Amino acid sequence: MTRLKIVLIFIAAVLTTLGAIPLYRHRHYQVPVVAGPAVTRVEKLSRFAPGLKGTMADTDVFVLEGARPGGKALLLANTHANEPAGLLTAVLMIENAVVEQGTLYVIPEFNASAGRNTKPGDGYPLYFDIPTEWGPKRFRMGNRDASPLEQWPDPDVYIHFPEKQLLSFLDVRNTNRTWPGRADGPLMENVTFAAMELLRSEKVDVAIDMHGAETMFPVTNCIVAPLKSSKIATLVSMNVKAMEGFDNHVEPSPANFHGLSHREIGDFSDTLPFLLEAPIPFLDQPTGPKTVDLLLDGKDPFLLSLSRAKKLFVPYDESGWPMDKRVGQHCSVSLEILRQFTKKNPEKGIVLSGVPRYAELVKNGVGRYFHDPAKADPKSVHFE
Amino acid sequence: MKKFLLAVLAAAAIAALPASPAAQTAIPKSGLPVLTTSAGQSNDANTVNAVLEEADIKYDYCDVPTVEMLAAGVGLAGKTSAAGFHVEVTTDLVKYPKGTPYKTVILAIGASLKGMGASGLTTDSEEARVKKLIDACKKAKIFVIGVHAGGDAARGPAGSDNERMIDAVAPFADFLVITKDSDKDGRFTKIAAKTKAPLIKVDFALGMVEIMKKVF
Repeated sequence: MTRLKIVLIFIAAVLTTLGAIPLYRHRHYQVPVVAGPAVTRVEKLSRFAPGLKGTMADTDVFVLEGARPGGKALLLANTHANEPAGLLTAVLMIENAVVEQGTLYVIPEFNASAGRNTKPGDGYPLYFDIPTEWGPKRFRMGNRDASPLEQWPDPDVYIHFPEKQLLSFLDVRNTNRTWPGRADGPLMENVTFAAMELLRSEKVDVAIDMHGAETMFPVTNCIVAPLKSSKIATLVSMNVKAMEGFDNHVEPSPANFHGLSHREIGDFSDTLPFLLEAPIPFLDQPTGPKTVDLLLDGKDPFLLSLSRAKKLFVPYDESGWPMDKRVGQHCSVSLEILRQFTKKNPEKGIVLSGVPRYAELVKNGVGRYFHDPAKADPKSVHFE
Repeated sequence: MKKFLLAVLAAAAIAALPASPAAQTAIPKSGLPVLTTSAGQSNDANTVNAVLEEADIKYDYCDVPTVEMLAAGVGLAGKTSAAGFHVEVTTDLVKYPKGTPYKTVILAIGASLKGMGASGLTTDSEEARVKKLIDACKKAKIFVIGVHAGGDAARGPAGSDNERMIDAVAPFADFLVITKDSDKDGRFTKIAAKTKAPLIKVDFALGMVEIMKKVF
């Protein structure tokens, strides 16, 4: 009997170890990012909230500065690390953007812990590869929430600070529910608090938080904006529709739903917030297996049936909703937000060049714009 | 002979080209000051305001103006924004001092349950409010422009919230400006044919900027 127990414990230990190894590798896998011509420095988010220092939740802030002074913008990606079009857009901006005027802060892995987490119950792939001219560039596929390894245990109910709104227990690890955060709260509140401190202390004019949303969710393929940002958002929506041929409607930020970036950034700072949602079929529930192909091309036969039954909130056909299209939307909408802001505030202009727009990304693919870290100056290569 | 035939063919080809919407319908003129508002509380009121800003036309805006506020003219009786109630006064107060009667009201047609809920309205109460406002415009001889910029997404089956807002505004508008995809079923065309109101269709909402420049 004792021998049987030992054998069973041994088998359990072997299985646990075999299962843990890929998760450990995923958690520690580093994605190289080549700092482009506009990057003048790379800081840590913990500069704005020292409590983050030394934790896996601390993350890089790339600062891209222009020759001419102007306004400032912050670009956030991987707030939800299972919506990776934002991450690819952020890396593309870091590696290619030329800032003509103003300053651009880019945080490619805003929820750095979630970017090293996964959702095994949903069978998420751990990685995905983007084809480039110099070979595949590998990214980690993360999860919506931070890892319990960073923040544990979860409460029964998350009580939002400071509004005391009752939210799901999981939202305590969701950096799009913990805004505006606090220095002495749970770690993810510390992350959002650091970003708020960045926005306030650096007097940032515009914040863009890039997300993805299910095709069956009404708040998808849109810009979510509070009243103070709504005119610029509307102009952006009108312009991308007329000039670039894609829809991106405006959704008002609900005044009484707390913890979201598009609500709290506007309420707790002078910054104009915008949250971008690009459709991501991978996140819809009634799909086939959660494969890398589904993540990248967004093609799914079940969603196609639902589209025919008019159950989706976006047009959907055999072409799916590919990653290049999603990144193209994020690039064009972000550039258009900055253009419209600059038009209204020329003295605080934020002018970028060198970033492709929607049509170019759909035609060329996002991989075309990633630089080979092996051929770059090692000093310019950062690991995320 | 060849040249003559080519000229005839070219002339026939040009004649066969569809005329631009602006060429089909004369754009009516109206005056300032102008009040913008919503019929259905969708984001399309923001679209109208953004269009006017792009056209460099100053306006007053209220999402839920009362008949009394309309009658109070420019400045909207000094009301200020509060939860579920938004007021914006950008009218040139030197040219049009507070209290100047509005010459034009633009209603952005499009229903949003979320938007109506935020203003404490139901589809029934919004419909009744819009009807009262239009009645007051007619009595005061204010030019009413109905705008539908939401396209297909802001349409629905007969009797739906969006269609009820169209019913509340379009048959009473002096001028209708819509995006082409708002009229896939020809509903606005039929209404305009019946009321004889000029109807302009643009490809995209951005196209309304040039139209508004010509109206004011």
